[in-house]
Amino acid sequence: MKRLMYLLREAMRGLRINRANTIIGIITTAFTIASFGVFLLLYHNVRTITGSLQDQIQVIIYLDDAITNQDKSALELALKKETHIESHTFLSKEEALQDFHQQFPEEAYLLEGIGDNPLPASFIVTIAPAPQASSHVSTLATQVKTLSGVEHVRYSQDWVERVTLFSSYLEIGALSVGIILSLASVTIISNTVRLAFLARREEIEILRLIGATGTFIAIPYLIEGAVLGALGGGLSLGLLRGGFEIVRDNIRDLSWVGGVQASINFFPIQMSVMLVMAGLILGCAGSALSVYGWMKIRT
Amino acid sequence: MIQLFHVTKHYEGCIALSDLTLRVEKGECVLITGPSGAGKTTLLKLIFGAEFPDDGQILVQNRNIARLRSTDIPFLRRTMGFVLQDFKLLPHKTVYENVELPLIIRGLSSFDAKRKVSESLRAVGMDHKRATNTSVLSAGEQQRVCIARAVVNSPIILLADEPTGNLDPELTYEITELFKAINARGTTVMLATHNRQVVEQINGRMIKLDCGRLLTDQGTIS
Ligand SMILES: Nc1ncnc2c1ncn2[C@@H]1O[C@H](COP(=O)(O)OP(=O)(O)OP(=O)(O)O)[C@@H](O)[C@H]1O
Ligand SMILES: [Mg+2]
Repeated sequence: MKRLMYLLREAMRGLRINRANTIIGIITTAFTIASFGVFLLLYHNVRTITGSLQDQIQVIIYLDDAITNQDKSALELALKKETHIESHTFLSKEEALQDFHQQFPEEAYLLEGIGDNPLPASFIVTIAPAPQASSHVSTLATQVKTLSGVEHVRYSQDWVERVTLFSSYLEIGALSVGIILSLASVTIISNTVRLAFLARREEIEILRLIGATGTFIAIPYLIEGAVLGALGGGLSLGLLRGGFEIVRDNIRDLSWVGGVQASINFFPIQMSVMLVMAGLILGCAGSALSVYGWMKIRT
Repeated sequence: MIQLFHVTKHYEGCIALSDLTLRVEKGECVLITGPSGAGKTTLLKLIFGAEFPDDGQILVQNRNIARLRSTDIPFLRRTMGFVLQDFKLLPHKTVYENVELPLIIRGLSSFDAKRKVSESLRAVGMDHKRATNTSVLSAGEQQRVCIARAVVNSPIILLADEPTGNLDPELTYEITELFKAINARGTTVMLATHNRQVVEQINGRMIKLDCGRLLTDQGTIS
């Protein structure tokens, strides 16, 4: 108990004595973790957006003008049976034309010369949100294509696949940047702690003389590193939050992303905690590196 | 308790101890004298595991210091007290905190610690300065705090290097009496000194060193 108090007090004293180094250590750690955080934030948001894109995957089945009523109800029955489908609506040729006029009033003249309504009737199918929604889409599309009376099947698959690919690139990017920056902050903290250690060489010698073990001597420095790392992590969270707010104010509307209603979000609380924990662990690792390295040289 | 066999210790260029063989029994009080540079401090440091011999064997409490793993040395030291010639007190801690430290390292409960620290501070007459920062103490005061720190955990072996070097005759008398009392309780004491008064007052076994050699070893009586 007394021992624990002593070790904690020593760690705090160390941070206080080397105040300039402490502050530099915290700030540099904060920036390294924040740069990693930027990637993480980007990744997190791309993932969420991909998710919501997948939620809204639509398959449009264009029907042959000459489709028989029998084929049409057979198709509708097939759609009803499909479990991955959330809903489907029928859009007749007339409704399609109306929609077209409504959505593109400027281009309405394009259809005027043709006389007959060129737009096909269609079923608009919404896929139920699921992790493998995009694979359901492609199986559905190939199945439906073979049915008689179906002219063409269109879906947003391309887009989804491209975003998914992008997010996996981002994953690799975040990972490699993360590794590099982790090494950087371990080095930074390791240096900060080494300075603290050297400044108190005399004290450590005395502690050894009165029978302190290496662990007893090292613990305050490990705590110091952990505190540095955690504070750095906390500060980086603040930096990220600030940066995030600025970015969000500038791109309020994300509807251009495939016409999807998506908004960018900050990390959920668990991820924020993880970031601070990451700082703490990096800090501990950094000081362990310098403390044990130093001790090995000494004895 | 303490045995040295043909121990030799060099420092760059100079020989601090050469071919020293020595045996100290449990409960003995041994004075080590000799001119400056004779190797007294070196001898004590070797026994404490603060230096390692170039040659020869050192057994302390039946453990071979040279073969001890570095992780075992702290535990050996916890059974010993060392009054260092240059005190080595922690400068930005109080007298009390300095003396308490060996007990904290051993994980002693704070109640026991309080009693022991007060006891040993009283024994060296430093109880009234317990809250003073050690960096502002006089040399004699620092020396006494160092003695209190060495005896606070009732060591099995007490090594004292010139423990009265900065004390006036009166304090020297009292501190010497303290060492005698500690020895009377069964602690093995090895005390390096130039001081006639201490030698006469203890009047026991005396080892004379010169240039790292054992000159005489007399008075194994009493
Ligand atoms: N760390 C060291 N590096 C080099 N030489 C050393 C070292 N420590 C001691 N010596 C040398 O070893 C010899 C013995 O030193 P030691 O300190 O044991 O003497 P001493 O008997 O304690 O002297 P004093 O009475 O002045 O304290 C001296 O010649 C000293 O210069
Ligand atoms: Mg000496």
